[in-house]
Amino acid sequence: MTTYIARRMLASIPVLLGVSILVFLIMHLAPGDPALIMLGPKATAEALERLRQELGLDQPLYIQYVRWLGNVLQGDLGRSVQLKREVSELLATRFSATLLLTAGASLLAVVVGVVAGVTSAARQYSLLDRVSMLTALVGFCLPVFWLGLLLQITLGYRWPIFPVSGMNSPGTTGLLDTLWHLVLPAVTLATGAAAVIARMTRSSVLEVIRQDYIRTARAKGLSERVVLYRHALRNALIPVLTVVGLQVGFLLGGAVLVEMVFSWPGIGLLMVNGILARDFPLVQGAVLVVAASYVIINLLVDVLYAFVDPRIRY
Amino acid sequence: MRRWLLQVSAVLAAAALVLAACGGSASDGGSGSGQQGGGQTGDLKRIVVGLQAEPVTLDPHQVTDYNSNRAAQGIFDRLVEFKDESTELEPGLAERWDVSDDGLVYRFYLRQGVTFHDGTPFNAEAVKFSIERQIDPNHPYHDTGEFAYAEFTFGKVREVRVVDEYTVEIELVEPYAPFLAHMAMHSASIVSPAAVEKYGRDFSKNPVGTGPFKFVRWEPGVEVVLEKNEEYWDGAPRVDQVIYRPIIEDQARLTEFEAGALDFIVNIPPDEVARLKASDQYTVLEQPGMHVWYLVFNVTKEPFNKKEVRQAVNYAINKRAIVEELLQNTGVLATGPLPPVVWGYTDDVTQYDYNPDKARELLAQAGYPDGFTVDFWVPESGSGMQQPRAMAAAIQADLRQVGIEMNIQTFEWGTYLDKVLGPVEELPEVFEMSWIGDNGDPDNFLYILLSGDQWPPNGFNMGYYKNEQVDELLRQAQRINDQAERQRLYEEALRLLVEDAPWAWIDHETQIVAMKKSIQGFKLHPTGVFRFENVDVVNN
Repeated sequence: MTTYIARRMLASIPVLLGVSILVFLIMHLAPGDPALIMLGPKATAEALERLRQELGLDQPLYIQYVRWLGNVLQGDLGRSVQLKREVSELLATRFSATLLLTAGASLLAVVVGVVAGVTSAARQYSLLDRVSMLTALVGFCLPVFWLGLLLQITLGYRWPIFPVSGMNSPGTTGLLDTLWHLVLPAVTLATGAAAVIARMTRSSVLEVIRQDYIRTARAKGLSERVVLYRHALRNALIPVLTVVGLQVGFLLGGAVLVEMVFSWPGIGLLMVNGILARDFPLVQGAVLVVAASYVIINLLVDVLYAFVDPRIRY
Repeated sequence: MRRWLLQVSAVLAAAALVLAACGGSASDGGSGSGQQGGGQTGDLKRIVVGLQAEPVTLDPHQVTDYNSNRAAQGIFDRLVEFKDESTELEPGLAERWDVSDDGLVYRFYLRQGVTFHDGTPFNAEAVKFSIERQIDPNHPYHDTGEFAYAEFTFGKVREVRVVDEYTVEIELVEPYAPFLAHMAMHSASIVSPAAVEKYGRDFSKNPVGTGPFKFVRWEPGVEVVLEKNEEYWDGAPRVDQVIYRPIIEDQARLTEFEAGALDFIVNIPPDEVARLKASDQYTVLEQPGMHVWYLVFNVTKEPFNKKEVRQAVNYAINKRAIVEELLQNTGVLATGPLPPVVWGYTDDVTQYDYNPDKARELLAQAGYPDGFTVDFWVPESGSGMQQPRAMAAAIQADLRQVGIEMNIQTFEWGTYLDKVLGPVEELPEVFEMSWIGDNGDPDNFLYILLSGDQWPPNGFNMGYYKNEQVDELLRQAQRINDQAERQRLYEEALRLLVEDAPWAWIDHETQIVAMKKSIQGFKLHPTGVFRFENVDVVNN
């Protein structure tokens, strides 16, 4: 297992390298001059020239890339052109906000999705099954920003139970306050994923529930709950796990709309602003971090397969 | 093995939570004290402002955008300040000043006994430092930032001289009347030299000035917190704390405001303005801003090298319909390039009321009885651009009525700026632009945008318009300090410009803010900054 993990880690290096080259090229091929965007139309030609030199934009592309890579290997992600702060400092605060949002949403999506899926499967074609699957279908189709605004207006304003936006009450910090602010964005983000997980769990459980060992388990006199969750779900979990892994990765990247609606200070928002400002160091650093977390999540899912199904060995 | 994995994932999940919750916010140990941000919390008088986006810097010398300017404004003072509701000037850190007869030397007599928030004394050296840091490439602290406005603000400065501790002289290379107005701009803010020396490039997130509010902390993406400066030379503000929060989504900002967590918001969606105005809980303030939205005609090319064609377009666009219906009166109709809030304005100019018949007539006179087809560049969004695509579509529809076909090409803002400031040969026949004034001097609109000396890359006359008579008037107005005479010159220039129609001007955007009724004494300023030093929070 350890060798497997080490091998997978090594294999991720070319992936990350490839991603960084791709992003570098795309950013630099897009029209728009970071110096001009940053200094605005009121800057003089000399000021623009000076800034371009400072940013190294007057150098050939491959030299710029090699320089950047060299710095990254020494742990220096550079300085954001637009926000005038170290990229690593920005990413550290912003990425943890996204991580919290994604973790909250994933937890919610998995719990709600799996319970709804198993329950639906156990009572196939019942009213409960139909209602929960219809809800899942609707939940999957709801645009994230619309759902977010709706939740803000209802649960934030009409019945002010939860805060409308941000990560803290003005002028304060604190874990409980943050968790309280997390509720609406996490629900918004989780809805689509929960729907997918619920439908996947249902069909996957339905497949195993007709098999002999389930009948055996029931014949042994086990309670229905134990049969469903210990025996059926366990064996239905592999495809569900794949979907969960994909969804978590998707949530990580897809958090940007939720971050915009709820002014959640995450990495998605940072990246969008960075792209609009042609903030090369920032965007490259952010993409690198997101790509790395994709790789790690994928690895985690693969390792979990072995944990869930002992027949899988690496 | 299984248990091991379970434990590790539990620890990882917990670590992620803790890490996220503590991320970058260790500076304040306070716990969540409830959702109600605004108004009086306990004995604290606090104003929470919802901005459109996060400030990018709090170094006033590096500011290029509204959000940064608004958050940084109260931390600093300038030698000269704009009056409360106009761009007329009044003493700030300089008690008084005089100008030499040749208009070359400005001597400022500084206020004594003022200190920066870090205890550094304010004096002539600090003034010299604040200017030279921006314009002298050999200054030891020139590399502490990018000073986009330096050339614009201080381009005419030859030398800054310290006469004595509290007297400073600024000598110009040539007489330049708008200079005093420049000294009231954000780029002329006086910063603490000791703080710049201490923080270097990080001064932008550790700003120190002499202003009515002191910087407390800035949590990226979350908020900028300022508190009142008890020792402020002009009397401590009545508000204890001002917090700026970026809320990107207009609708979310409004909901947050109505839910009570924000006290003061900008950019209210036009559809909602009337509803807020009708409510007895809020005050809505409006004021036409120092802004103009226009179509630039590329006069280097046919057909807009002909005056009749440019006039025809001005007649053919139903500007009033755009302002009233499309923009829902969030702007006022423009009659020329200069907004009415700027002195030098006159409405005694050629009026281009909506008149398609007259437009067709003029087109026929110019030799285009059947109209023509042109390329029309439009940005997707952009600072001051209001609703660029919807407005383009309205203009396109109006002009089709008189036989002018416009091929709209849309670009993302960053790309757009690059292209419209690019080589003249690649420019289309016509494109959208807007301008937000900096200091309320007519020179800041007319000279920069329409003088023949200001073709790119020197300035922003992007249509390459040139009129010798206008140029001479504008240059003359720069050289004299007599306000009445300058007013006359600008009125004359305006009359010529409007007749010649180098642009099709549409509107001047209105600044609209909404605040809780408990906020009292707030006045909008034409420059778009928010001043909270004379504001009080009164809860009934």
